[in-house]
Amino acid sequence: MKWAILSGIEGNLPAYEAVLQDIRRQAVSDLYILGDVVGLQGENEAVIQRLQSPRPGELVPQVCVGWWEEQCFSLHGVSGLQDAPELMEKYGGDGVKTLWESVSRESVRWLRSQHFGFHELDCLLIHGSTVSYADELTPDTPAIQLCDRLIRADANYLFCGRSGLTFECSVNPAELRSTVTTLDGVQEPQDHGKTPRQVIGVGSVGRIPGKSTYSLYSPENGQVSFRTVNYGKTKGFGTVKE
Amino acid sequence: MKLAVISCIHGNYEALNAVLSDIDAQKADQIYCLGDLVGYGPHPNEVVDTIRSLAIPTCQGCWDEDIVEGLNACECSYPSQIAEQRGKLAHEWTNNEIRPDVREYLATLPLSLKQDNLCFVHGSPNSQHEYLLPSMDGFAALERVLSVDADVLFCGHTHVPYVRELEDAKLSVTVKSPAQASDPQQFQASLKRLINAGSVGEPRHGRPNATYVLYDTETTQVTLREVAYDYEKTCQAILDSGLPSIFAWRLSRGMEFAERADDPSHVCER
Repeated sequence: MKWAILSGIEGNLPAYEAVLQDIRRQAVSDLYILGDVVGLQGENEAVIQRLQSPRPGELVPQVCVGWWEEQCFSLHGVSGLQDAPELMEKYGGDGVKTLWESVSRESVRWLRSQHFGFHELDCLLIHGSTVSYADELTPDTPAIQLCDRLIRADANYLFCGRSGLTFECSVNPAELRSTVTTLDGVQEPQDHGKTPRQVIGVGSVGRIPGKSTYSLYSPENGQVSFRTVNYGKTKGFGTVKE
Repeated sequence: MKLAVISCIHGNYEALNAVLSDIDAQKADQIYCLGDLVGYGPHPNEVVDTIRSLAIPTCQGCWDEDIVEGLNACECSYPSQIAEQRGKLAHEWTNNEIRPDVREYLATLPLSLKQDNLCFVHGSPNSQHEYLLPSMDGFAALERVLSVDADVLFCGHTHVPYVRELEDAKLSVTVKSPAQASDPQQFQASLKRLINAGSVGEPRHGRPNATYVLYDTETTQVTLREVAYDYEKTCQAILDSGLPSIFAWRLSRGMEFAERADDPSHVCER
C-alpha cells in the first residue's frame, strides 16, 4: 500500500497532469488531494472536470476542501462569512473577480460535497488542521502548537497542505506532569509523556509555476518521501526524489 | 492582591448576591467574571445590572454571544443533542426577556482579559464553546495556557471548578525537509496553571452551592470556594417564569447528566 498525497493544484492543470504522470510510476494505491484544487493559477473548471472524471486505469482522487474552496463557499454564500473577506484582504478585488468568474455554481456545489479531511488508519489527512482550514503548519510552528494539533487530530501522522511546503516534523512529547485539584481534594498526579508523532507538509502541486511537489507515504513502515516534478516547455518532465 | 474569579452566573440573581457577599467577606481586591451572565436562569437583566454597577471586568461567554449574534445553532454550540433542545428553549426565553441596553452591553464584552501573567477566558483561548475539562490531554492543556502567553489561565464553561498544575514539560521537534534537516529542538515549560472558576448560578459539581475561586497574586495560592444560598428561591422563580422545569430540578441537585460533552473538543466543520 502506498499513498500519494497532494495539495494546492490551484487550477494549474499542467502541473496536475505532470504529477499524475509521475504518480503512475510509483505503484500508488490511493490518491489523496488535501484541498486548494482551485485558485488563481489557471483553469479551475478544467481541473475540477479532471478530478471528477479520471481516465480509465487512473486512481479516483479523494478530495477534501482547502482554503481556496472555502473562499468559493464564502463568495457563493454557501458557508462561512459572506463576500470572502479573507480572499479580499489577501488578493484584492482582482482575486475575488477571477475566482468568482472561474468557478461555476455547479462546481462550487461539487466542491462543497467533498470531505473536511480523512481519518485513515492512524493518520489524519487535512488541508490546514482540525483547528481551521487556514491553520498553516510549517517547520517553524512552535513545538507545543504542533503537539497540540497532533493531539487534536487524534492521529500519529498529520498530513497537511496549507503551507505548500514539504517537511516532516517528528514531535516528541516526552514528559509532563499534571495534578488536578477539585472541591473533593487533590487527585493522583499523571504523567502525560507519549511516543513521537509526525506532522507532514505534503507540498504544493500548482502554486509555483514549473515546479510541483507532493508526498508519498507507505502506511506499512511509516516511510514518507517527497517528490519534486519539474514541468513545462523548457524544463520537460523531470523528477527529483528527495 | 487577592482576586475573585466568578463565571457562569446564568441569570441566577440569588446565587450572585450570595457569592458577592462571600467575596466581600474574603476581602478580595478585585473581581473578574468569565461570562455567561445570562441563559437558563430567571433574572438575566438583574444579573447584568449588578455586574455593570460593580464595574466587574467580564469576558463574553457563549450564552452572551448567542444573545448578541442570534442563536447560531450548530451542534458545536451544545455538548449533546438533549442539551441543544433545552438550550434552544432557554435561549428563546432569554432573548425575549432581556432589555435592549443589556443586549448592547453583552455585545461590548471582550473574548479575553489579561492582567500581567494571568489570562481570563470563558471556554478557552480558541473559543467560548471549547470545554477545558480536567481530563484533557496535558500537552493540549499546556498549549492553551502558552497560546496566550500566560502562566495562569482562568476559564469557566464546564461549571465544575478545578485547579490543574502542569509542570516539568519536555518536548522536542526534529525537522526533516528538502531544505533543512535539524537536530532536535528542545522545548521546556515552567509551571503553568489552568484554573476553572466553576459556576455561580448553575453548578454541576454534585451540590447546589455556588462556586468560584480566589487567587492570591503574591503567593499564587488558589482557593476553590463553595457558597450555600437559597437555591430554592431561584428554582421557584424558574418555574414561575415559564422556563423548562428541568432547569430547576438540576439546579437543586447541582448535577447535569444530559449536558456532559460527548465530544468536548469538537471542531466545527462549517
